[in-house]
Amino acid sequence: MATYDGLFDALGLRAWCDAGGGGGGPMSMADLMARASGGSAAPAGSWWDLPLPSLNNLHAACGAIWQTRDLTLGLERAFLSARDALRIVLDPVTQPLSWMLRQMIWLMVATPWFIMLPLLLAVTWAVARSWRVVGLVALSLGFLAFVDHYTEAMQTLAIIFVCAFICVLIGVPVGIAMSRSAALRRIGTPVLDMLQTLPAFVYLIPLIFLFSVTEPKLYGIAIILYAIVPVIRLTDLGIRLVDPDVIEAADAFGMTRGQKLWRVQIPLALPNIMAGVNQTIMMSLAMVVIASLVSAPGLGVLVLRGIRNLELGVGLVAGFGIVLLAIILDRVTKASLARIDVSRDGR
Amino acid sequence: MRHLLSMTTLALGTALAVPAAAQDAPGTCGDLSIAQMGWTSAEIITEVAKFLLEQGYGCDVTLVKSDTIPAITSVAENGEPDIVTDLWLNSAGEAYTRLEAEGTMVTLANVLDPGGIEGWWIPTYLAEAHPELTTIQGVLDNPQLVGRFNNCPEGWGCRVVSDNLIRALDLEGAGIEVFNHGSGETLASSMGSAVSAQEPWFGYYWGPTVPLGKYDMTRIDLGGYDEAKFTPLQNPNAPDPQVSDFPEAPSVTAVTAALVDEQPEVVEFLRKMTFKTDELNTLLAWQDENSASAEEVAVHYLTTNTDAWSGWLSDEAKGKLSALLGQN
Repeated sequence: MATYDGLFDALGLRAWCDAGGGGGGPMSMADLMARASGGSAAPAGSWWDLPLPSLNNLHAACGAIWQTRDLTLGLERAFLSARDALRIVLDPVTQPLSWMLRQMIWLMVATPWFIMLPLLLAVTWAVARSWRVVGLVALSLGFLAFVDHYTEAMQTLAIIFVCAFICVLIGVPVGIAMSRSAALRRIGTPVLDMLQTLPAFVYLIPLIFLFSVTEPKLYGIAIILYAIVPVIRLTDLGIRLVDPDVIEAADAFGMTRGQKLWRVQIPLALPNIMAGVNQTIMMSLAMVVIASLVSAPGLGVLVLRGIRNLELGVGLVAGFGIVLLAIILDRVTKASLARIDVSRDGR
Repeated sequence: MRHLLSMTTLALGTALAVPAAAQDAPGTCGDLSIAQMGWTSAEIITEVAKFLLEQGYGCDVTLVKSDTIPAITSVAENGEPDIVTDLWLNSAGEAYTRLEAEGTMVTLANVLDPGGIEGWWIPTYLAEAHPELTTIQGVLDNPQLVGRFNNCPEGWGCRVVSDNLIRALDLEGAGIEVFNHGSGETLASSMGSAVSAQEPWFGYYWGPTVPLGKYDMTRIDLGGYDEAKFTPLQNPNAPDPQVSDFPEAPSVTAVTAALVDEQPEVVEFLRKMTFKTDELNTLLAWQDENSASAEEVAVHYLTTNTDAWSGWLSDEAKGKLSALLGQN
C-alpha cells in the first residue's frame, strides 16, 4: 500500500516493522477522498508523486517507526515529567523578578500623582539636563493623565523600568564577556538571534505550566528575553570597536586586563552601551501588548480591549499612549547619551 | 503547536482540493470561502463542510483562518468569506445583530444542538473530594479549597457577565481572589497546568473545546438560568446584578445574503448541517486520545457517522458520495 514498503522488505526489516504494531493511526483526508471517488486508496503513483521520506510516510510502510505526532507527544510528556525538577530550579531563581515587578507597580501606582509626576520630572532633569526634554516629558505625561490613562501609563512605565534595569544588569556583563571570548561569541550570537525571532508564546505556555499565570515574572521573562538582545550586542560591539592603538598604549603603560577594561574599554564603549540601553527600552515597550496577553497590566490591556471589542477609539488612544511613552523614554536616554559624549569631548 | 498543525493541514487541504475540483468539473457551484475560527470544534465543522461541499456539490472551498469579530467585520466590509459557521451569537454581540438586521448576513441554522455550554468549572477530582463545591454557595463557604477565580480576558463577552456575577456573589468579599487573564491561551493553560498537577482550579470556561474534552471538569451550579436576571448581566457594570446561570449559547451558521440568492443548494445543505453538542465532545475526546489533527477528526466523523450527515445532502450529492455511503 505505502510507497516505502519495498524499502523495508529489501532491508529485511519487515518482521521488526510489523512487530511494532501501530494500526496506521487515523485515516487521512486523502484516503477518504480516494474512497469517495470510488477508487482504491492507493492510486498508481508515478515517480513524480514519490512522497518525501518523512516520519509519517515511513510510518505508513513500517508500523515500528514513530509518526511525527508521537514525537510532539513525546516532547509534551517529557516536559510534564521534568516539570517538578525544573520548577525547583527555575522558581527560586526567577522569584526576585516577580517581587520587583509587583513592588514597582505598587509603588508607582500607590504614590499620589502630585508626588510621582514631579519625581519623574526631577529624574528626567538629573539624567538629561535639558529643559526641552523635561518639558516634553511633562507635556506627554500630562496629556496621558488628562485623558485618564495615568494609572495604566504608570503600570507600563513600572514594568519597563524593572525589565530594562534587569536587562542592563545582565546584558552588559554578558556583552563584556562576549567581547573578550571568541568562543562565547560564537555560541552567543545564534542564541541572541533565536531570542529575537522565537514567538513569545512558544516559551510562555510552557512557563505557565512551570509557574502560575498569576506571577508577574511570566511577562517579565517574555520582555527581558526579547529586549536584552540589543544591550548585549552593542556592549560587545562597543568594546570591540575600541581603537587598537589605545589598547596598545594601555599595554605600554603596563595596565592589567581589569584596569584596561574599567579605565579604557568601558569608558570608550559607553556611547555604544548607552545606545544599546536605549534600544533595550524601546524593545521592552514593543513587548507591552504581548505582555498583556499574559496578564501584564497597563496600556497593553486597553489596546487588547480595543482590538477585541472593535472599540477603535480605545485602541488608538492606548496605542498613542504607548508611542508617547516610547518617545519620552527615547528622548531622555538620547539626551543622557549626548551628555556623555559631550562630557567626554570636554575632557 | 496545534495551530501550526492545522495551518499545515489547511495548506495541504487546499493543495489537494485543486486537482479534485478539476476532475469533478465545477458545475454550478464554483468558489466558496468559509471562515474557520481558531478553536477546534470550528475546525472540525468547517473541515466536514468543506469535504461534503467539494465532494457532494462540486464546490471549490477555501477555508480562511479567522476569529469571530474579524470574520464578521470582513463580511460587513468586503462581503467575504461567504460562510461563517460555529458563530457564537453571544460573543458576536451587536456587531452581528446589526448585520443581520441590515440584511447583509442571514442566519441559516444552529450548527450546535442544543448549543455551547458556558459556565464556571472546577476539576472533577476536586468535586469528588469535596462534593459541597458543586454549588456556588459551597464555593463561597470554602474559599480556601478553590484558590482563586480564573476570569475571562478583557474584551470577551463572558468577561462582562462574569464581572457582574462576581459583584453579585461578592466573590472577593468571600475571600476568593479574582485573577483577570490576558488571553484565552493563558486561561486554558492555567487549567491544564492545575489539572495535570491535580491542584485546585476554579474559573470560567466554555465548550465544546479541547480543554473541556481533555480534562474532566465539573460545572458549578449557579442556581439555574433565569432570563430576567441574566439579560442585565450582559451590560458592563450592571446596577444591582442578580445571580443566574449561563444559558446554552447558540452557535449558528450564517451566510452572506448574496449566497442565499446564488447558491440555493449549498444554502439548503448548510441549513441542515447540525452537530449534537455531545457528539462534538466525543469527537474532541477522540482527537485527544489519538492526538489527531482537525482534518483527521473530520475524516473520522465522516466515516463513522454517515447516518447523521447523509441526511443533510441533496439527492444529487448523495449520488456523488454513494461510494462512501454504501460502504458503511
